[in-house]
Amino acid sequence: MAERRLHKVLSAVVKIKPGEEVLAVLIFFYFFLITAPFGIVKSLRDANFLEDLKAENLPYAYLSAILIAVAVSFHAKLQTRFSRRSLLMSTLVFFILTDLVFWALFSRPHWDWLALIYWMWANLFVVALTTQFWFLVNDVFNPREAKRLIGFFGSGGILGGVAGNLLPGFLAKPETSHRLLLVSAAFLGLCLVVVGLTFTWLRKNEDRYAAAPKREPKPGGKGSRHVGLGDSFRSVASDAYLRLMAWIVLVTGIVSTFIDWQSKSLIQGDPVAQQNYASFFGRFNAGILVFAFLFQLVMTSRFINRFGIRTGLLIYPVIILLCSVGIGIFPLLGFAIAIKGSDKALSYSINQSSRELLYIPVLPGLKYRAKVFIDMFLNRFSKAVGGVILLGLISLVQGPPGMREKGAMGLSPLVWVSLTSGIFALIWILFNLRISRAYVREVKAQLAKKWERADEVVAGTMDVDAAKLVVDAIESRTQSATLFALHLYELERQNRLTPEIRGLLALKPIGASGSGTRPLFEYDASPWVSDFEDSGVPAEMDKEIQEILALDSYQKVIGEYAGQVIEGKTEHTETRKMELSKAIGLMNGRSAIAERLDDLLSDDSPKVFQYAAESAGRFKKKAHVPLLFMKFGDPRTCEDARSALERYGGTIMGALSDYLEDAGESALVREQAASLLARAGDQEAAEALLEALARGEKPLKTVLIDALDRVRSEVPEIVFKEEVVRDRFEAEIRDLGPLRTPSDLLPVFKLLGLIYDHEDVFRAYQNLLKGTKDSVAYAIELLDHTVSQDVKDRLFPILEGLGVRGGRGTPA
Amino acid sequence: MVINKREKNNIVIFDIEGEIRRSDITDVTLHQLVKEQLEVGKKQILLNFDKVDFIDSFGVGEILASYISTHNLGGKLKLARISKKLYLIFQVTMLTKVLEIHDEEDAALQSFFKE
Repeated sequence: MAERRLHKVLSAVVKIKPGEEVLAVLIFFYFFLITAPFGIVKSLRDANFLEDLKAENLPYAYLSAILIAVAVSFHAKLQTRFSRRSLLMSTLVFFILTDLVFWALFSRPHWDWLALIYWMWANLFVVALTTQFWFLVNDVFNPREAKRLIGFFGSGGILGGVAGNLLPGFLAKPETSHRLLLVSAAFLGLCLVVVGLTFTWLRKNEDRYAAAPKREPKPGGKGSRHVGLGDSFRSVASDAYLRLMAWIVLVTGIVSTFIDWQSKSLIQGDPVAQQNYASFFGRFNAGILVFAFLFQLVMTSRFINRFGIRTGLLIYPVIILLCSVGIGIFPLLGFAIAIKGSDKALSYSINQSSRELLYIPVLPGLKYRAKVFIDMFLNRFSKAVGGVILLGLISLVQGPPGMREKGAMGLSPLVWVSLTSGIFALIWILFNLRISRAYVREVKAQLAKKWERADEVVAGTMDVDAAKLVVDAIESRTQSATLFALHLYELERQNRLTPEIRGLLALKPIGASGSGTRPLFEYDASPWVSDFEDSGVPAEMDKEIQEILALDSYQKVIGEYAGQVIEGKTEHTETRKMELSKAIGLMNGRSAIAERLDDLLSDDSPKVFQYAAESAGRFKKKAHVPLLFMKFGDPRTCEDARSALERYGGTIMGALSDYLEDAGESALVREQAASLLARAGDQEAAEALLEALARGEKPLKTVLIDALDRVRSEVPEIVFKEEVVRDRFEAEIRDLGPLRTPSDLLPVFKLLGLIYDHEDVFRAYQNLLKGTKDSVAYAIELLDHTVSQDVKDRLFPILEGLGVRGGRGTPA
Repeated sequence: MVINKREKNNIVIFDIEGEIRRSDITDVTLHQLVKEQLEVGKKQILLNFDKVDFIDSFGVGEILASYISTHNLGGKLKLARISKKLYLIFQVTMLTKVLEIHDEEDAALQSFFKE
């Protein structure tokens, strides 16, 4: 009951699913209780530094990030020794105690450079606690869940930051601001409780969150996720996508350092700020975070869902670029607030969310290894790099740091730094453009096709016609020596009489039959083998046979014989008809004997029809089409009729379209016509099929969609009328009953495959079928980058409502 | 190509030697020789291919023309001792269904008496 109420409340602000409420709220408060004390710590950090050391020493503070990186490395080592739960709890205890130590030190007269030590501690505080927070989120939620809930969690963080900053904003006094450190220690104490509750809840819900850290794997043992910095670096260095991510983090850190220096230099010179730095920074940061919070709550998820990761990644550096150029031209406090405000608002909201999403296509094990280096080390190290560049740049332009006095080329260091910042923002934009393209590639790579279409596999891996010919040849040994010879000749003609097949055909003697008095083939196929083994294709013999078939005397002799056979005046009539039907296929289609094929196609014997249809397929006479269609009704002849008509290719498109359109024809015939059009696989066939689909005849719908999908799959360049496909897509969605399995959506996906990348749509469908949480999540992620917004709006609610199997599994 | 004629028990036997091909046409063709025999009332004819190395489509045409002529007059034309290769060609073209072919001359001659 309580959960239902909670669900109702949360549903108003976040797309939450039943069962997720308690965990989501705990994670929300976890983040809140990290960022609230950091709001206090950070305001005091900036105020103490400007009061005791001034802005000109800020580059040294940025350089201290190297020490933070070392500490991060130590933290990474700790990860290999402690379980996630122990590490989270002990880290919180460590920061509570050290927080109290700093309170004690700031309570009495102190050394100026204590501000720098405090700066470093504050930075370590945020790195360690936020990284551990995101580790837990990644442990517990799959990418799709994370994408859905990340806005909610981020809001918790921003809200905590606002609360934490408002405290010094309103309570800080120049002499007693350090007392707020006691409040931050209290927040951390509460966080300790929330983390404990979170792990307790996860243990109780192990079945639902299979990958949650119910019990940490033995450090260093099989399945351990703990990695050292060296391992992490090697993992990043060996992966092009992760390298690109690392470059982005590096450039982001450099730009962020420049922005910090630009804004603090301007703030230091502002008379209002000078009166009470802690209060100023508290209110300033709170104001920024309120904006960030509202943006995060209302815009981030919608923005990313609507415009995608690419725009999400670009908006931040573009605004920073504009503000940097603005400060370069007009070095005013307003621009300082704008640039710092944009930096914080966007880095906490869209940029952070987009960056987390960039990890989606990275395999879980690799992601964990990479995060240690990228998020924990490089994120800080980049600030140090920024500090070095800043120091170098300022000394190069020879102006006092942080001042507006003229330097090199008559420009102040502030202008130089702003322009350099703009250049780095441009580089950042270029990297973001590259990674947004790489992201889609990586998602696709994770969703490898699980299986090909069965018909394509068969067509691609085996020669069905050859296999059929060999089987028929083997079978013919017991039927007739002539039929056997005809098969051997055909095999030889097609260069298919390989040693293996020769051996197979000569394996055992056949039962005597046929009318030939000389039992040459009845006992052994080896004469054929020995006669032609050396010469390969019997070109000379082939020529001879063709010339014989064209002889008038031959046509007369065999014509008479054919008449007797067809009229049933010979013994073994069925066998003779089979021989004749096959032999006719060797002749000229316009010869008199070939005219008798009509009779053989109409024969009641399926065996006779098999060979007659084969010959008809060679001649491709339109007159034979109705005779072949007539045989669709008999399951014994249906496949042979179909094979023959397939050999006509595009030459009977009109006839096939007529059959398809003719409502008077049986469903079977119309289905075969659709299937044959699909085999023809050209634009005309596609249009005929789509036209038929547009008429909305339900009995034919599945066959038509399947045929269209086949055309699309075999000839990707064929264009389908989008409005018709969209119309049918809408109709399919409307007609969907209660879904039992994802396979019920197959027609929907086939339709989408006609107008979007067929391969991607197919991959997504296969991963939906796999049905694990992660495979479904990755499938939706791929579709997110493939289909248009209106399709997403219709399809995604259905996909997200599909039942998934418990395990996370890996995408196909 | 050399064609020798002999008779056994009123059956005309043509012993053919060499190659029967278009490029090697002799003054008198096999079909003409068969027709000559038919004209004098000899309607049982056996073609012995024992010493034939090669027959092309022209040669097959000669055989078929001979067969038609004989058949039209109610006679019988049979073949003996043809090569494996020619037999294969006859099988593929279904001529084995029309032409009577024997492994040995004696068997062929015996078959005339059985009819």
